[in-house]
Amino acid sequence: MSEKRQQVSRRQFLNYTLTGVGGFMAAGMLAPMVRFAIDPALQASSTGEFKAVEDVENITEEPTRVDWEIDQVDAWYESTVTKTAWVYKDENGDIVALSPICKHLGCMVTWAGNDDYPDQFYCPCHDGRYYKSGENVPNTPPPEGLDYYEYKIEDGTLLLGPTKPRGEA
Amino acid sequence: MQWNKQDLGQYFTAEEYIDTLLIPLMQVTFKDQKEMEKSAVQQETGMIFVREMEKQFKGRIFLMPAYHYLASEDLSAEVTRLNEWAAKAGERSFKHVFFFSFDPHWKKQERNLEGNLLWMPAIQSGDTQSKETQSIIKNQVAQLTDLIKTYW
Ligand code: FES
Repeated sequence: MSEKRQQVSRRQFLNYTLTGVGGFMAAGMLAPMVRFAIDPALQASSTGEFKAVEDVENITEEPTRVDWEIDQVDAWYESTVTKTAWVYKDENGDIVALSPICKHLGCMVTWAGNDDYPDQFYCPCHDGRYYKSGENVPNTPPPEGLDYYEYKIEDGTLLLGPTKPRGEA
Repeated sequence: MQWNKQDLGQYFTAEEYIDTLLIPLMQVTFKDQKEMEKSAVQQETGMIFVREMEKQFKGRIFLMPAYHYLASEDLSAEVTRLNEWAAKAGERSFKHVFFFSFDPHWKKQERNLEGNLLWMPAIQSGDTQSKETQSIIKNQVAQLTDLIKTYW
């Protein structure tokens, strides 16, 4: 469990660093929703677009929510943004990582978010639904399926990158 | 949706779907250091709350710029102005108006407000980075979003 402790101090360190570079406000706003699942060793190496989010062996066939942080820089602010994905293994054991952003108007969908549809993603805003594959259920508001995250597996750890829409898959 | 050009552009393509307005009510005071610090902390934490709510329900909730007012025991004058906001919003597609605040004085005015008050006791800690505060906020936001859903 000493590794866990190390993780916390690394994270505090990062928060303080951000504070230093003026990201304080943004970090304050966005940090709360984060569950840190990042291995400190990997975090240092994944300065590119991909971030370590979870051990592959912890991923089951049940879609599970993972959260992680990325640094985002625009012309005026440097900020830390929380990203979320629904992750599971399909029947072939391949990883599927779906964006939670509803393709209708952008609310956050949840797996089994509606008791009537325990094996679908549900959007509470206008009853949008998606099958486990992320395909949209016809006759619900979303016009297309959930975006995928690009992913990599390194040393048994899942790394997630940018999202891409289904059309380009 | 938030009050920026990009989100407004999207709003006008799907107005009938975005039927809920969220207005943060933020008190400002010049009394003394302690009260001013308290007001600043509430402003910071309050914005975390409303932004998280907006993030969950981006396609249905419109988050307005915060409404700031001078701290006072009697908020009846503010109620009149806020009800004008709510009336104007009603002329658009908004059917539900939620006011979010940490200021307990709104409780007294709750029944005069033309909208639903989401009031929470303020979080004491000024350290929004601490693990405890983060999990408290996360938990409270989940409760608030569940509450909003019951009005839909
Ligand atoms: S935003 Fe998801 S159904 Fe409308």
